[in-house]
Amino acid sequence: MRTKFLRALVGAVMLGTAGAQAAEIRIGFTQDALTLDPGNHRSRETETIIRQMYDGLFTRNSRMEVVPELIDTWRQVDPVTYEFTIHRGVRFHSGDELTAEDIKFTFDRLTQTNAMDGQTSPRQSLLGPLRAVEVIGPYAVRFILREPWPILTAMLPFQEVVSRRFVERVGTAGMATQANGTGAFRLVEWRRGDSLILERFNDYFGGARSIPPVGPANVDRVIIRVIPENAARVAALLSGSVEIINELPASAIRQVEANPNTRVARVNGTRTFFIAFNNDRAPFNDPRVRRAMNHAIDRNLIIQRILADAAVPLNGVMSPDAFAFNRDLPEFTFDQALARRLLAEAGHANGFEAVIDTQSAYREISEAIASMLNRVGLRIRVQVWEGSVLTPIWQNAERRRERDMFFTSWGNGALDPSDIMVPTLRTGGRGNSAGFSNAEVDQLLDAAETEVDVNKRRDMYMRAQAIVNREAPWLFLWLPQDLYGVSRRLQGWEPNADSRINLQRATMR
Amino acid sequence: MPIARFVERILHLIPVLAGVSVIVFLMISLTPGDPVEIMLGDQRATPEQVASMRRDMGLDRPAVERYFVFVTNAIRGDFGQSFFHRRPVSAVISERLPATIELTVAAMLIAIGLAIPLGVLAAVRRDTILDRIATVGSLFGVSLPGFWFGILLILFFAVQLQILPVAGRLGYAMEVPAVTGFALVDSLIAGRMDSFWEVLRHLALPAFTLGLPSAAILMRVTRSAMIEVLRADYITFAEAKGLSRARIIGLHALKNALIPAVSVAALETGTLLGGNMVVETVFGWPGLGRLVVESIFARNYPLVQAAVLLYAVTYVALNFAADLLYTVLNPRVRL
Repeated sequence: MRTKFLRALVGAVMLGTAGAQAAEIRIGFTQDALTLDPGNHRSRETETIIRQMYDGLFTRNSRMEVVPELIDTWRQVDPVTYEFTIHRGVRFHSGDELTAEDIKFTFDRLTQTNAMDGQTSPRQSLLGPLRAVEVIGPYAVRFILREPWPILTAMLPFQEVVSRRFVERVGTAGMATQANGTGAFRLVEWRRGDSLILERFNDYFGGARSIPPVGPANVDRVIIRVIPENAARVAALLSGSVEIINELPASAIRQVEANPNTRVARVNGTRTFFIAFNNDRAPFNDPRVRRAMNHAIDRNLIIQRILADAAVPLNGVMSPDAFAFNRDLPEFTFDQALARRLLAEAGHANGFEAVIDTQSAYREISEAIASMLNRVGLRIRVQVWEGSVLTPIWQNAERRRERDMFFTSWGNGALDPSDIMVPTLRTGGRGNSAGFSNAEVDQLLDAAETEVDVNKRRDMYMRAQAIVNREAPWLFLWLPQDLYGVSRRLQGWEPNADSRINLQRATMR
Repeated sequence: MPIARFVERILHLIPVLAGVSVIVFLMISLTPGDPVEIMLGDQRATPEQVASMRRDMGLDRPAVERYFVFVTNAIRGDFGQSFFHRRPVSAVISERLPATIELTVAAMLIAIGLAIPLGVLAAVRRDTILDRIATVGSLFGVSLPGFWFGILLILFFAVQLQILPVAGRLGYAMEVPAVTGFALVDSLIAGRMDSFWEVLRHLALPAFTLGLPSAAILMRVTRSAMIEVLRADYITFAEAKGLSRARIIGLHALKNALIPAVSVAALETGTLLGGNMVVETVFGWPGLGRLVVESIFARNYPLVQAAVLLYAVTYVALNFAADLLYTVLNPRVRL
């Protein structure tokens, strides 16, 4: 099969027919997949690749709303019980039909301890309190949670459905290098470290019904070529060797825009950047100082000059695309006079000394921020660390006691406050480097964790964001955009904030 | 060479490998960073889930125990599971190793092919314009950073002229049945000259980028050795006998001048095998160097340990091969 396909491909390429060229999309991608097993990794890049071949119960549309993919209908029976019915007639690449048994098998494999030939899936924690999946019909399943978890559907796009029969046949070892999903493309060959060759799956069920057009992919082939080096990836795009590149470096934006055959595509990412103040330590234990420093920096200038306009300024923690984003937060305007006044009120008219802990990749930005803070009379300097040394220091309340400020970030792939506010702002959270602790915020976050009424939940998070904005435990910075370089011949594709490169609906001119 | 000598040299490997394994293990143990934390990233996880991941990776055991488990398994050829690929390390490495060896051999062929003739020429035409060009050129060769020079080559040959590919090992439309894992050899075995040519096109830029610094070093070594040899009495004697210049240089002088070059070439080959991650990254070459660097950043301990041991074995083996070549070039040298 593979040989036949490749021979046809060679023939088509050698003939150089327009049709053959129009039918494939080549991606220059930063990393190879670590594995092709959807249940056995924790890598976003791996997921992007695997998602070409596998579908999830849910996916996200271009507005980042969660929409059903393999699911036909669903309902929440009670706070801890969900019932899902899948589309009938969905086929795996092997030809087997997708049934409720496959859904149960997929999620048991992800959540049960030692379910993967003696090992536990590293994705287990992505499914929170999912306790059991019951088959209630040939195409219907029931998900039962240990406790209410309103972000279940927001987390389900991260999990791809596998075939029970196939996994039982090839085992976990076989799943690492073989693929049998229900996705729009099927695997032809994986050349480890080099490329993945995929072809259209003609029996594809069509994808999410709410994202037209529904049907098999338009193009015949997708080739994912691993090109880790930025300049080489850009060169591949400019030379016409690939149609899409991810992680376009900001320094190459002009070059790509100047080329008549290529363009830059951008989308808000899901990672919030901030500088955590050590809220336990003077002078950062005074909200006036924290607010003053938030007024002392010109975010827009840094975004414009250093980040090549590829970021959105933030006055809080959430992405503007996320659920419950509070659009009414007061803005921290760049106002040096106000900053000085607030500092004087807090008893720091003569400023103070402090250190921003950062990593080499962010040195330039950290220094720009430090110099802005120094303009209002502070004496801030930057200390560069190795990431794996720095992060554990700031994750530990004892070890960070002597530190002042920490340039860091937190990803929010679920685009839900629960996934970012709870770890970074709830008392004792895994990513609460600032040591921020506010009883009202804790109470709102805890209540929202189990609140099933969407409107009430949204309201709780809005209020929590308002408190965080007022208390300013961080120097709020920005949300970088994901940049892609794209050939103008490619139509019908725009990037998604979740880093998926969904090519089902893309065509080549 | 007597078999006993050979066995003795092989036995020398044991303390070397034991020492290397201890050093690697100590360095890894002392390096900050936790693979579980790196894998989890920003996601929420309960302490039980973190503990379960740590147990799966064997990180819940004390370092000394981990070392002995590693050594006893390694003796049996089991280097454990790669934390991030979740497959046996030996499988992951063996997929990548042929690409690295192929690139290294190609780079060394380019290096030797450039260095020996140029070195000889520079020595014979000492202090001429040719010598100066070769010497200054070698300085450039040593000084040009691979990541920069590689990008320049890509921009010129792949973007401007569009005659060579930007990255990768083989055009995706080509298929070569994997027999040895070496794409050039496999192409020949399959009798596929089209894919052989395609692999060569992909190999050209990375091999040249990788080989150039070695060529520069080798050329300088050859030149100085050749100058030294050309001053020797036996060369004067050969000239007095009326032997042709070409015969003197090609047969009598070069053989002796090559001895230091062989030693340097062996060391360079070891360095290229272990140190070509920059070139592999720039050209998207699916080799071991890139994999090891990614693994170091991700604290993928089992893979790093196995790769470093492999590098150590290779280095020792190459030195041994150089020693063997000495005996061929100079019969007075004994192992």
